[in-house]
Amino acid sequence: MTDKSQEKTGPETFFADWMKMTTELWDPMAWMWSAFHKTTGMTPDSIKYGKKPQMQESWDSAQKTWQAFSQVMSEPETMETLLKGAGMLPEIFLKTAQTGSKTFVNFQKQWMERTGKLQESAKTYNLEEDAFKAWTQLYEQEFRKFFKIPQLGLTRFYQEKMIRSMDKFNIYQAAVTEFSRLLLLPMEKSFQVLQEKLTELADKGDLPEDSKKYYQIWIKILEGHYMILFQSSEYTQALNKTLNAMSEFSAVKKEILQDFLNMLPVPTHKEMDELYKEIYLLKKRIKELEKKK
Amino acid sequence: MTQPKIAVDLILSKLAEDAEKARTRAEKASEVLLGPLETEIATTPCDVVYEEDRVKLKHYKPATKIQLNRPLLLVYALINRETMLDLQPGKSVVQNFLQEGIDLYMIDWGYPTRKDRYLTIDDHVNGYIDNAVDFILKKHNLDKINLMGICMGGTFCVIYSALHPEKVQNLVLTVTPTHFDTNKGLLHIWMRDMDVDQIVDTYGNIPGDIMNLAFLLLNPARLMIDKYVGFLENMDNKKFVENFVRMEKWIFDSPDVPGETFRQFVRDCYQKNLLIRNKMEVGGHRVDLKKITMPLLNYYGKYDHLVPPEACEPLISKVGSKDAENVCLDTGHIGIYVSSKCQKEFVPRIAQWLKQRTADKKKLKIKKTSRKKSVTIKTAT
Repeated sequence: MTDKSQEKTGPETFFADWMKMTTELWDPMAWMWSAFHKTTGMTPDSIKYGKKPQMQESWDSAQKTWQAFSQVMSEPETMETLLKGAGMLPEIFLKTAQTGSKTFVNFQKQWMERTGKLQESAKTYNLEEDAFKAWTQLYEQEFRKFFKIPQLGLTRFYQEKMIRSMDKFNIYQAAVTEFSRLLLLPMEKSFQVLQEKLTELADKGDLPEDSKKYYQIWIKILEGHYMILFQSSEYTQALNKTLNAMSEFSAVKKEILQDFLNMLPVPTHKEMDELYKEIYLLKKRIKELEKKK
Repeated sequence: MTQPKIAVDLILSKLAEDAEKARTRAEKASEVLLGPLETEIATTPCDVVYEEDRVKLKHYKPATKIQLNRPLLLVYALINRETMLDLQPGKSVVQNFLQEGIDLYMIDWGYPTRKDRYLTIDDHVNGYIDNAVDFILKKHNLDKINLMGICMGGTFCVIYSALHPEKVQNLVLTVTPTHFDTNKGLLHIWMRDMDVDQIVDTYGNIPGDIMNLAFLLLNPARLMIDKYVGFLENMDNKKFVENFVRMEKWIFDSPDVPGETFRQFVRDCYQKNLLIRNKMEVGGHRVDLKKITMPLLNYYGKYDHLVPPEACEPLISKVGSKDAENVCLDTGHIGIYVSSKCQKEFVPRIAQWLKQRTADKKKLKIKKTSRKKSVTIKTAT
């Protein structure tokens, strides 16, 4: 008796009771559903061929599967096996966690190694002078790899474009920063030269009394330094790099925008360009023919 | 007692004086800036007599009796607008030509849109310019026209005159680049390594704002700082403010440049220097400068930082014309058209040159062998 009552209060009994209760709840619902469809869900075909409506057929099939499943699960042997398996859960979780943490540690190790490389590379540069070049090179050699991880799945093409745009934006930002730094250099140098010039004038006792003259001396120095900078190959390279980076970022940005526009009832630039080209060629041909006449 | 090396007392009193002047100027400036200002540009009356796509042909109403029966067609660049030639009443190249009795036409390139991105140099030269010339020839029942080009428009006129010499009586060029392989102008240096394909493929047309930024960067000290310091110093002067605003209106009115035209101009001219070497092809035809046999007057500025003298001078030795003249003015790229002193010299001289070559054809034929020369005129800026 005691054993039996203990069995009745065990988890396996609880599960069997729950299955029974669930089936009892859904059974009348299913009956009501099929009764409803018998009156409303009949299509001309189902009436003609004596078929049940498709929805009702699906429901009946699901109901049968549930009944079979709950019957098997309610058997004490099945429940016992299930509970034994549940007892092993902590062990499984532990193993999974260990594998996960190992992967994470390995990944972190790789990152650390990469960061170490960054520091090593950074040491080889004079950061004050070439900080932007160094950053761009480090970005291109190290960080950029993460943006090139292959994308998977249905939306992989869109993901790729998004990631490419982030990559191109970073390159563009680096180029603009370097370019801006170059543009500021003459400014910085002109103030240094102005100070030297003023010290020289002060020593000679020739300091101008008119404040405008100080400005005129400075602007002349500044203009000269800009001219030197603009004729340097360093500037031309930075300018072209910035223009290219801007074009590349702009191009990928447009590609993304085009994907969004494709979903809207408006023509995209690509489609319009194709049309414009056709119109251009047609017009040109007509004009030539008209001239020949 | 010895004099101090630094006259601190004088410097301080000058500063105080300047501060007082600045305060008075600011008060007057607020009256000027808040009051009515005349800043309209391109006000000389004209009719649009021909239109094709975005391009318009303007015909100016004569200000005096026409003294030259052959009209003059002005071809401006695709960069910025032709309004620069008619910036303000009393200081306008257009008005000066009209005063000289020249029958004047001018091409207005309009504002290219995305659909114009495929237009090439061929479309501009053998299309729009040629059609405008044909229109004028037909209207006046003439076989030849006088042609004048400005900057890139001048380069177009050189190409046109080489491809259609039978339609050009006299050719006048102003600040026109034809020899691009020089390190004197910053544009020539910068364009050399530019990836023009990538830029055109990305943008379609080249945005006017990007072009403008590039021009500002040619001399940031003067164009982005000193210019506005000058404005602050003169903002209590109504006339100065009006002229300054007119110039600002013109300089930042920048249409986009049709992509394919820009691509060909940069690649064939700036990067390969094909034009001066008679190797450039436009519309399937080689541009042979030896075919430019009509009289040629070639103006440029000694201090032009966009189109340096080195980019303009060699042309007269490459053309077939025996009557070709270089004239170097003591000014910059824009100064030729807007400086009062230049205007007094520039337009009357061109008008006189045109009149001579229209009236005294026979005399010129005699002198043909000895008329290739270069002159420098000091006009000061």
